[in-house]
Amino acid sequence: MPNTPCGMKSIYDCKLIEQHEVSPGVWLSKLTGPEIARGAVAGQFVNVQVAKTTDPLLRRPFSLHAVDREKGTFSLLYVLVGRGTALLHRYVSGDIISVVGPLGNGFDLGDSPDAEHIVVAGGCGAAPLHFLCDSLCEKWGCEKVTVLVGGKSKDALLCEDEFREHGVLTEAATDDASYGYGGFVTQLLQAHLDKRSDASNLRIYSCGPHGMMREVARICSEHEVQSCQVSLENKMACGIGVCTGCIQKIKKQSQGCDPAWEYKRVCADGPVFEAENIIWE
Amino acid sequence: MGIEPFSDPKSIDLTVDIGGIKMKNPVTVASGTFGFGREMADFFDLSLLGAITVKGTSLEPWLGNEYPRTVETPSGMLNAIGLQNDGLESLINEKMPFLRQYDAPVIVNVVGQSLEEYAEVAARLDSVEGVDGLEINVSCPNVKKGCLAFGTTPEGTAEVVRAVRDKTDLTIITKLSPNVTDIASIAQAAVDAGSDALSLINTLMGTAIDPWTQKFRLANITGGLSGPAIKPIALRMVYEVARSVDVPLIGMGGIMNALDAVEFILAGATAVAVGTGNFVNPMAAVEIIDGIEDYLKKMDKSSVMEIVGKVS
Repeated sequence: MPNTPCGMKSIYDCKLIEQHEVSPGVWLSKLTGPEIARGAVAGQFVNVQVAKTTDPLLRRPFSLHAVDREKGTFSLLYVLVGRGTALLHRYVSGDIISVVGPLGNGFDLGDSPDAEHIVVAGGCGAAPLHFLCDSLCEKWGCEKVTVLVGGKSKDALLCEDEFREHGVLTEAATDDASYGYGGFVTQLLQAHLDKRSDASNLRIYSCGPHGMMREVARICSEHEVQSCQVSLENKMACGIGVCTGCIQKIKKQSQGCDPAWEYKRVCADGPVFEAENIIWE
Repeated sequence: MGIEPFSDPKSIDLTVDIGGIKMKNPVTVASGTFGFGREMADFFDLSLLGAITVKGTSLEPWLGNEYPRTVETPSGMLNAIGLQNDGLESLINEKMPFLRQYDAPVIVNVVGQSLEEYAEVAARLDSVEGVDGLEINVSCPNVKKGCLAFGTTPEGTAEVVRAVRDKTDLTIITKLSPNVTDIASIAQAAVDAGSDALSLINTLMGTAIDPWTQKFRLANITGGLSGPAIKPIALRMVYEVARSVDVPLIGMGGIMNALDAVEFILAGATAVAVGTGNFVNPMAAVEIIDGIEDYLKKMDKSSVMEIVGKVS
């Protein structure tokens, strides 16, 4: 079942507490937002108004990187990639930013204390998985959680230290073999699963480039894991489920349907989906 | 001696009548930007709206277009959703019971690939409790068959309106396409064929190209442009149509705030619809209702109707 919290979804004026560059081109913003911090679950996102003018017009979706329920704050981790992030990174402490959230459905952490959890992060896909890691540790204990974090090179690895600080077993993979395991993080996952005769108590969670998540899905299906969830990032216009722009082909649950798939909204029906239900293209 | 209950000596009359639909204020939403209300009900009480205009509905479910379906453009966006919807049965059995909880008239946007399909949807909706009006969509730019093919000529528009008029006594609002040479002649044809009101404008056809991949940004190649970028065109068209027909108009196209809405009313619209503005600010419609009232107070007017078409 999707992990959807009730209520709380609204428009909030959030004060920027601080933001700084954590590694070249990667920024971390911390904002006040007690309702968002207390109401959100890992895997959800917020829709941020980056411009005070009509150009760019649309809000930008950012996954929740961390929440502090006591202090009523939340963090976003983002890579400077376009106009939206360029505008966001210029805001300074004290600025008020309009944020809609929390939005979408989060990760399903399962209901069995016997399960083990593997989190597979690719590049900036690590952003929501930090919050997930926090939630998994809180619910099941950090000893049940392994994080595999991948990037093109050592510099492109995100959140590795943060994952380690949780006390979870963390392994890194770099495509160019400059650090940790030399190869794709999906190969590292494959090696982990190949070691096991039975993967039925394993829950896998992933966020990263499309091709990487497709490979995670393939490996998980091959090993018949208990659950494999991926967080998608399609282009959104509204972010709140009304425009049906950010659709993904998802297998229909009932048999004998023509077509056997339907379009689901990544913003409102996702962004987290069971990987086995996705029609990968 | 009792104290007289406070009454505002200058209470503002926001009510309008759109072809028989009594709206408590002149603000509705543009079809396709508000779903069927369920998602927006998280943000505000839908009963606050003058009317709820729901997403385009066809006889059978439509899948819509391939992804990508949207792209942002300067002060606007293109969409090529392709009218994805769950079909008439789902509207009647799942969406209408939800909408009936609210004290706001419901306008259903009707789409079809043939005259028969428009007529059948209209006939079926005629007796559905809670449906107050039909907005005939003859202007959807992203669907290959039917639809826009009707809306680009006076004759085609009139045919669809007549087919629907024959099947229903509900208020008929024809939604006009801006992708035509003479919108006033099409407006006149719709009215002559029995349309009680008109809404305008739908999106303007456009496209966007990624220079680095040398590919179109939309899977459908073309899409409909909306947002503040189209407001001057929409205003001009509302003004033109208002001068040529006598039925009430619902004006839309890039309305982001109350003063945008007031401009449309001054141009001749009796009501307005908020579209892409809902994406940027999910509370836009209710803020606009309050803002129109504030404007009327400031201008020392006692009703919306006092300013309809009063541009000079």
